[in-house]
Amino acid sequence: MAIRVNLDRLLLERRMSLTELAAQVNVTLANLSILKTGKAKAIRFSTLNKLCRALECQPGELLAYEPSAADALEEAADQAAE
Amino acid sequence: MRALGQGSIASIVKVALTIAWWVLWAALAGVVLGAVAYGALHIMIGAGWVDASILTGGEGNVRVGGGGGDFHVTYDQPGGATWPVVAPALVIGAVMVIGALVIVGRLRRLFDSFTSGEPFRRENATHLRVIWITMLVMEVARYVLLAGVAGLFAAFGAPAGADADFSINIDLSTWLSIAVLVVLAEVFREGARMKEEQELTI
Repeated sequence: MAIRVNLDRLLLERRMSLTELAAQVNVTLANLSILKTGKAKAIRFSTLNKLCRALECQPGELLAYEPSAADALEEAADQAAE
Repeated sequence: MRALGQGSIASIVKVALTIAWWVLWAALAGVVLGAVAYGALHIMIGAGWVDASILTGGEGNVRVGGGGGDFHVTYDQPGGATWPVVAPALVIGAVMVIGALVIVGRLRRLFDSFTSGEPFRRENATHLRVIWITMLVMEVARYVLLAGVAGLFAAFGAPAGADADFSINIDLSTWLSIAVLVVLAEVFREGARMKEEQELTI
């Protein structure tokens, strides 16, 4: 997955812990941890909305697109499946 | 009554499969014992303790093959117990019982998962795949064994009283079941993928 979640950096900049953020956005610590470690497959607009509100940021600050070799392979596999 | 979960139809089927599992193990033990007994009989004949006519005696009426997609070696009367008949019968028995054991074993694991209330798991797709591959192997083995028996009879001569029917019967219901299982296996794989994605959606 070429989408990187910059939750670590934003939390550091705002001197906020993951536990505090979890309490503010009403998302479990386990789920935020999945998001932070890049294991998440998708994010709901409602969750993104809550995170942006709590972290006072834009979606583009939270998410970044970084193409990699693995991403190119994934795209090739998708094309082959089609 | 619920279809999935504890106390559901799936849990009743699971119990039935467990019974079938032990019955099949007993059947496999029967096949192995039959093979050992037949081997022992030949040793006794070789040693002169038993008259060799026991293998061919009586009004043996052996029937090989059959209609409706079945393939059996059956005896209407005592006799007809020469090895070109008995050896394929034991092989057919072993293939069918072992195949059924694999299928029932995988079905038990499938229904374990259905009873726990989580049907869409990747391993369930694998179980379904193993089931259809086993069914395919059993069906193809039927044709191969039929050809094998024909070869044995051609090479060593059919036993007296043998009524050999080597017509090939295509069992459409088996092939249809295999096709349905191929599709279902992929449905489960897709379901498992979607469930994993849902679980990792924040």
